Amino acid sequence: MAEVVFSQVKKAFGTFTAVHGLDLHIKEGEFVSLLGPSGCGKTTTLRMLAGLEFPTSGDIQIGDRVVNDIPPGQRDIAMVFQSYALYPHMSVADNIAYPLKKRGVGRADRDIAVAKTAELLQLTELLKRKPRQLSGGQQQRVALGRALVRDPKVFLLDEPLSNLDAKLRGYMRVELVELHRRLGRTMVYVTHDQLEAMTMSDRIAVMEGGVLQQFAPPAEVYAAPANRFVASFIGTPGMTLMDGELSKQGGTWRFDAPGISMDVGALNDRAEPGGACLGVRPEHVSIGQGSINGTIQVVEKTGHENIVIIGLEGGQRLTGRVPAPQSWSIGENVQLSLDAEQAHIFGPGPHGPRLNLPSNIATPDLKSAAN
Amino acid sequence: MAHLRKILFNLMAWSIVLAVAFPLFWMLVTSVKPQFELFRRPPTILPETWTFEHYWTLLADTNFLVYFRNSVILSSATTLLVVAVATLGAYSLVRFKYRGRESLAFLVLFTYLLPSVVLIIPLYLLLVQLGVSNTIFSLVIAYTTFALPYALWLLRSFMAGIPEDLESAALCDGATRMGAFRDIILPQLLPGIISTALFTFILSWNEYLYALVLVNSDSSRPLTTGVMNMLISSFNIEWSLLMAASVMMSVPLIIVFAFLQSYLTRGFGAGGVKG
Repeated sequence: MAEVVFSQVKKAFGTFTAVHGLDLHIKEGEFVSLLGPSGCGKTTTLRMLAGLEFPTSGDIQIGDRVVNDIPPGQRDIAMVFQSYALYPHMSVADNIAYPLKKRGVGRADRDIAVAKTAELLQLTELLKRKPRQLSGGQQQRVALGRALVRDPKVFLLDEPLSNLDAKLRGYMRVELVELHRRLGRTMVYVTHDQLEAMTMSDRIAVMEGGVLQQFAPPAEVYAAPANRFVASFIGTPGMTLMDGELSKQGGTWRFDAPGISMDVGALNDRAEPGGACLGVRPEHVSIGQGSINGTIQVVEKTGHENIVIIGLEGGQRLTGRVPAPQSWSIGENVQLSLDAEQAHIFGPGPHGPRLNLPSNIATPDLKSAAN
Repeated sequence: MAHLRKILFNLMAWSIVLAVAFPLFWMLVTSVKPQFELFRRPPTILPETWTFEHYWTLLADTNFLVYFRNSVILSSATTLLVVAVATLGAYSLVRFKYRGRESLAFLVLFTYLLPSVVLIIPLYLLLVQLGVSNTIFSLVIAYTTFALPYALWLLRSFMAGIPEDLESAALCDGATRMGAFRDIILPQLLPGIISTALFTFILSWNEYLYALVLVNSDSSRPLTTGVMNMLISSFNIEWSLLMAASVMMSVPLIIVFAFLQSYLTRGFGAGGVKG
């Protein structure tokens, strides 16, 4: 078991910088997801931690050891790859035994360890097969087995579920959380799937363009996104973001955009009059009465709820989420209101910081709710 | 109509097979016909009298076995050298990033584009200066120069088909780079290595021009030039002996090919596995 610390880690490939001065402190036994769109630097970060890439500058620490120049095999990590990377010419048993063999564990001990791991992952029947004779889910379990057979300090998982079908993915998510709880090991998990990150992690590191945007528990990332990028990236359907003007009237701030105008209360000291962005989660839109006028444009019925897209008078579009019994027909004019308490105000630009006061956060514990 | 087309296709295919196979068949029957039956008109398709005297003559009274031994040594040594260098070279070209990597690969291929005749004189002078001219070793070097570029490119494409994740996984599992190469890359590359080896062996076994120019002592001649030198003179061509020699020259290739072809087609679950 060990903590993992990135200190000002930078990685450049020629003129392209994949990771800019990353600072990340992952606690012992923590499950941390690196989340972001393609090319955000999350996989590069993981590969640097594994020792498959070397940082251009900065330090990476596993436990109390700086590992910058230490080859992967000596870092005491185990990695699960997106492609599983099973050795095609070896049987399942040999695949799982390989890390032990490379560490000089004797045959008898290897066999015992392999049998134990196989039992844990329900692979006992498959030990003699070759990887190509296995289904995707089975291959995935073998890849996990190869990581679990040792007792490494840190587990690294690079989008391990993305090649599975939706149902199996849901199942493996629960299995992985369970495994983490049982082993209590530090796990670093790379994904572009926010659902995986939200449901599995103790904390999420949201990255974009090689820059860490926010590092916080899932509930906080959802309820108090650090900036406009995080706000737009997290949540399905996404948060409605409207550009407008911020002005100060006495002690409170006011946000104005075409078709919408509302008091947003007190903001932090980074707030300045001028361009700003209002963010509203779909569940904080109430349709039926209010001071804002709109027209229903799209109704998506998902069964237990309806996702409604409403066109406002100024041409802006707003997404709302209402329980299934409430339904509107397309073209209907409606009044609506926004929950000012839960509305977010961001500074200008794609990475404009959140300007709300820190106290303005309600953080339900999403992870325990998901379990 | 479809039936007729099928028959026509079959007819065409079999005529091609026949055209390719007939010289081989003729070589075989000529080598077992007695001298007096060779030029009889009309020719006999199958020999009336079967004889193996030409084979005996070749083995007992001529240098054939020396040439044969030279060819085996020459082709095996070339194959070993080429495969060893090309495997490591291809690994370097695919896995490591360094300045001039692509140009290097193209430069190597460029030598392959030049006709052998252009390279043969500089090569000869070089070998003389190295003091190895007129030896089997000089031919090994010469053959390597033209077999290596092709082998390198062939293996490069095989190597590029092996997912890098496999090697990364081995490194994470505690293997050294050489360990990962031996445990993971080599077994994956085996079909590629075998086809490259086969290609190189056939090329060296059949090579004529370099052998003719670079070697002119009987003790170092390979089969191709040795047999021609021995049996074809300005006044006479020993057809029966030539055909017997040709049969014996072809046999090793046929054996090698028949043995390794199964490896080539086995497939080994080439590349990594994806779910």
